[in-house]
Amino acid sequence: MSKLVTSGLTKAFSGLVAVNNVSFAMEEGEILGIIGPNGAGKTTFIHLVSGILMPTSGTVAFKGKDITYAPAHMRSRMGIARTYQLIHPLENLKVIENVMVGAVFSKDKSLREARRTAEEICAELELDRLERDTTQLSIFEIKKMEIARALANEPEVLFLDEVMAGLNSDETKGMIATVQRIATERKLAVGVVEHVMGVIRELTQRVIVLEAGELIAEGPYETVSKNPRVIEAYLGGAA
Amino acid sequence: MKLKTSYLSAAVIAAVVIAFPAFLGAYPLNVARSVMTYMALAISWDMLLRSGQISFGIAGLFGLGSYASAIAVMRGGMDPFLSILFAAAFAGVMAFALGFAILRLRAMYFSITTLALMEIFRIVMHNLHDFSGGPEGIVLSAPIFGGNSTALYWLCLAGLFITIGVSWYFEKSKMHLALTAIRNDETSARSNGVDIFRYLLVAFVITSIIQGMMGAIQIQSYGFTTPETAFDANFTLLPLAMALLGGIHSTIGPMAGAVLLGVASEWLKLKIPYGHLMVYGIIIILVILFMPQGLVGLARRMLRGSDKSGRKAGASHE
Amino acid sequence: MANKRNATMNVALITAVAAAILVWRPTVLINGLQSAGLYASIAIPMGLILGIVHIVNLAHGEFMMVAAYITYMLCAATGMDPFVAMVPVALVTAAFGFVIYKLTIRQALKAPELNQLILTFGLAISMTQLANLLFTSQTRKLSFDYVSASLDIGDLSFGVYKFVYIGIALLMIVGLKLFLTRTTTGKAALAVGQNPRGAAIVGIDVDRTYGLVFALASALVGMMGAVFITSASIFPAVGSPYTMKSFCLIAMAGIGNIPGILGASILLGVSENILKAFRGTRGWADIVFFVLIITVILGRSIRGKKA
Ligand SMILES: Nc1ncnc2c1ncn2[C@@H]1O[C@H](COP(=O)(O)OP(=O)(O)OP(=O)(O)O)[C@@H](O)[C@H]1O
Ligand SMILES: [Mg+2]
Repeated sequence: MSKLVTSGLTKAFSGLVAVNNVSFAMEEGEILGIIGPNGAGKTTFIHLVSGILMPTSGTVAFKGKDITYAPAHMRSRMGIARTYQLIHPLENLKVIENVMVGAVFSKDKSLREARRTAEEICAELELDRLERDTTQLSIFEIKKMEIARALANEPEVLFLDEVMAGLNSDETKGMIATVQRIATERKLAVGVVEHVMGVIRELTQRVIVLEAGELIAEGPYETVSKNPRVIEAYLGGAA
Repeated sequence: MKLKTSYLSAAVIAAVVIAFPAFLGAYPLNVARSVMTYMALAISWDMLLRSGQISFGIAGLFGLGSYASAIAVMRGGMDPFLSILFAAAFAGVMAFALGFAILRLRAMYFSITTLALMEIFRIVMHNLHDFSGGPEGIVLSAPIFGGNSTALYWLCLAGLFITIGVSWYFEKSKMHLALTAIRNDETSARSNGVDIFRYLLVAFVITSIIQGMMGAIQIQSYGFTTPETAFDANFTLLPLAMALLGGIHSTIGPMAGAVLLGVASEWLKLKIPYGHLMVYGIIIILVILFMPQGLVGLARRMLRGSDKSGRKAGASHE
Repeated sequence: MANKRNATMNVALITAVAAAILVWRPTVLINGLQSAGLYASIAIPMGLILGIVHIVNLAHGEFMMVAAYITYMLCAATGMDPFVAMVPVALVTAAFGFVIYKLTIRQALKAPELNQLILTFGLAISMTQLANLLFTSQTRKLSFDYVSASLDIGDLSFGVYKFVYIGIALLMIVGLKLFLTRTTTGKAALAVGQNPRGAAIVGIDVDRTYGLVFALASALVGMMGAVFITSASIFPAVGSPYTMKSFCLIAMAGIGNIPGILGASILLGVSENILKAFRGTRGWADIVFFVLIITVILGRSIRGKKA
């Protein structure tokens, strides 16, 4: 059974339809690329799936259960975690506490257990000096911290919205390896939004392409990138 | 090690404070009670503030507690001590019911609504002549414990200790993570499993219970109240100024602020009978402009400054 | 389309209610309109600040109080009429508002909203307490003959003087409309209100505009403070209820909708006077406002959720 299924998912903002009738499914253990030109609706799609926004119509189901209108905190408890395109550190909490939040509230762990989980995850992501304030972190470290926090929710589905943006090429390489490792070790389904096609090609088994809110193509990157509609969408966007 | 010393010093201070009546007269004990009342209110205000919600309605729940306790004794013949618990519970239930509506509000809308609720409580008490005594208020047959100043002091101190204990628990438990996450970034909190409404409700109910309890202790100690004294805006204003001066988002900050401002205002009240509260206004302005972290924040920054240089020195040795 | 129909419906409904009240208790409508004029003309300057500088000035009523005391002293000393005194008083409060803006508000513009609220709250306390210090809490009043002007229609006799407040409110609405749409400075202010960053990019001096708006609003509320003493006694805390009322009226009208403030004021003024009309409910008249403010705020939040 698919982990996550949307059908006819639509979100309209006073006139503008940001996500239009998107139906798709995500399987256990797969890394799925979500691509499309700027403003295509990728972030909005993740908001809908993670409960940050409620759809205008359509449904979302997680492990066969309808969660279309479930509040965001319930979804993270069920096993859907995500990071944000714009960073969202909790700046009055230490790095370790930032990561603990996920474990404490999604998995009802005690502070001590949560701390242990958080330390393990941070070690795995090579994030150190965890007693620091988030203001002392580099952008790379903040992104890692936010992934760590998402992982502390012990999700089954994870969405990463442009985690590579703003990283240099070494950091990007490290991040690709990290994402691959966490996906296989935890049997996670991961949805990645990226604008750099090299990253998508290397990381994903399958991609979906959004354009103006609509799903216009789906399949392995190699096939999709040759799809004339996709080329058109990108060229149109570039022109 | 460091933790042990701080526990030890807290215990010593607590012992000294408990022993105050042995060497202080009635007037200083009275002043101490007023400072402790404001301190408890300041801490409770801060506890909710840790979630980012600014209440301007402290006086509302304080007054509600006063009236609930007084009316329970007057009309229900309840034992005065029991009436304090009853008033605390009553404030909690009211906050629970109101919370469902007002905790969906944010920023100034929440603040203004809490202020408006306070006014509504006051006007209701003002107008229910038969039930609450109307504008003349309520006079109890006698203050609790026969008005014994030592007993009254300990009663107030007990209320304060409970408040400090709960606030300390807030700092050391999940509540700290939940409230800080909500204050910093609600979106991030939500997508990490924080049920925002639930934690806000818990914080609002608990802080209201404290405010109601302190109001009940106040009326039982003085033996009378009127709508204007029970819902006096100073019960909102002073705690707020104290917490700001001492340093918000902590237990120790409001405590430090309350001691400083409480003692200062007693002194000023004698010097300048009209307008001594201006000092509060000016302190609020100056703190917001120049010291938004308060005294405790200042101290902490100075400590951390030395700490940081220590760490740097350590690093260069590696 | 639907909006227009709604508006027509509302107007029809309000007219019907007003006609009913007029027949039933004419004084309720008259008094209601008179208090509405006062509420609106105090709230409009605050609405201007909120709409453009996006600051809730919790010291708004205190600005009026300060102006009222200045006028009181001026008139008591020189025998000047408040309507004359209002010119110098407005100049003084404009300068006062400008200085307060530069010294305090401006420093907190980028701070979290919490800081701004508490800052202006601190200003309000300082001003009230300063008045307490200088004048004690004793109430003061000057009397003027023209205030007692009244009109008799049949058996009905009522004071007409306070209609002057409706006049002032209308003047402010028209004046501000002209200022904001016809003058360069006004247009710039409007642009800053809508999008300060964009306005800065096209070369508008945002800080100067904020200072100007603050001075202008302070001048207007200063004028109101001057006129206020003709019909009411003053004391240090006289202004503070008007801060809350003004905020409520602005919230009801929707931020940025200045004419709407007058509409909201009429609703508030008339409802209060309906309760005041009966001996049994007179004491409850004050509650109308607070119930209204909570209803409005909650209503807006629920509607906001749905949208
Ligand atoms: N809250 C909102 N209100 C109105 N319109 C919105 C809102 N959020 C997004 N939009 C619009 O919806 C469309 C899709 O935006 P979205 O952020 O989902 O795109 P995206 O594919 O993530 O783009 P990018 O690659 O630039 O991140 C855009 O046109 C955007 O302006
Ligand atoms: Mg995006």
